[in-house]
Amino acid sequence: MVGMSVLRSAAAIAARLSPLKLGNNAPNLLTRAIPRTDKVAVRWGHGKKMFIVKPTDYYDRRFLRLLQYYILLTGIPVAVFVTCVNVFIGEAELVEIPEGHEPDHWEYYKHPITRWIARNLCDSPVKEYEKMMAAIQNEKEKADARLTQQEVRRQMKQRGDGPWYHVPTVDKGLIDYSPKASPDN
Amino acid sequence: MPTDHDKGAYPEPPRQTPVAEKQTALPNPAVILSKLFYYSVDLPVTTFRDVVDSIRSKNKLVYYHQKFRRVPDLTECQEGDYTCYYEAEMQWRRDYKVDQEIVKVVQERLRACQQREGHSYLQNCTKELQEFTEVTKNFQARYGDLGAYASARKCLMKQKERMAAQTA
Repeated sequence: MVGMSVLRSAAAIAARLSPLKLGNNAPNLLTRAIPRTDKVAVRWGHGKKMFIVKPTDYYDRRFLRLLQYYILLTGIPVAVFVTCVNVFIGEAELVEIPEGHEPDHWEYYKHPITRWIARNLCDSPVKEYEKMMAAIQNEKEKADARLTQQEVRRQMKQRGDGPWYHVPTVDKGLIDYSPKASPDN
Repeated sequence: MPTDHDKGAYPEPPRQTPVAEKQTALPNPAVILSKLFYYSVDLPVTTFRDVVDSIRSKNKLVYYHQKFRRVPDLTECQEGDYTCYYEAEMQWRRDYKVDQEIVKVVQERLRACQQREGHSYLQNCTKELQEFTEVTKNFQARYGDLGAYASARKCLMKQKERMAAQTA
């Protein structure tokens, strides 16, 4: 109400000061929206837009984005595969070994993926055991051979005979006796 | 559905819930809550499990518990027979694992007994307690301070020390 009377007086003053200016006649002035500082419509919706000065986080967010991408690139197919295996094939049940049945080495594991790995990728534990035993046997034979060789050398050295205790020398026939023909030279 | 636990080893105490005689016409909130839980959690989970089981029942896999043959011990091996030593060592390692599992089972039984009895466990669980002390004492005597690099040979030496200490 007060604003309206002030507006009207402002319109009158503006019309009196510059009556010929475009848009300054009384009806125009009154209809024109004059900005008032004490009765501004304050809206708390978006707020004043601020430019916050901070160091760039582009590189950090890019790193995390790429990390997520590359992890999920193989992570999601693997997770889907393992879920499908667990739902459609499922884990094995523990049963007693029936009479006369010799289970294969992969039939001692529970999870189907472990069974597959044991069947196709790994050697059976029996084979691993035998491989180890063969390596041990090999090393044992080598050690025994070394010990016997050592003993033989010791014996030959002690007695002074035997084919291995001879120092290899030059052939007798290669010696040049020609300087001995003239001894007082 | 998977099988329940062994009732002989882990006995349940007799139920003491009194027979409820309804004296009011008001609904029982406990019954309402239990029905709510049943329809919102129990039923969906059970139906999901049944669905997955029906899919799985076409490819049923089985697995067995491996039984190992007994081989000559470390005391029955000739000196220098390293393959015999290896077999005895492997057998000792398997026996060590089995003994560890036995101790764990006995521990679990004592723990379950204590949980069941509450504050009166010292009085009611004497059988489990006695079993536990015996098993752990024997385990400690046999495998006690062998350490991380335990082997059949070290265990044999420990046994020799024990026997020497016993006779001396």
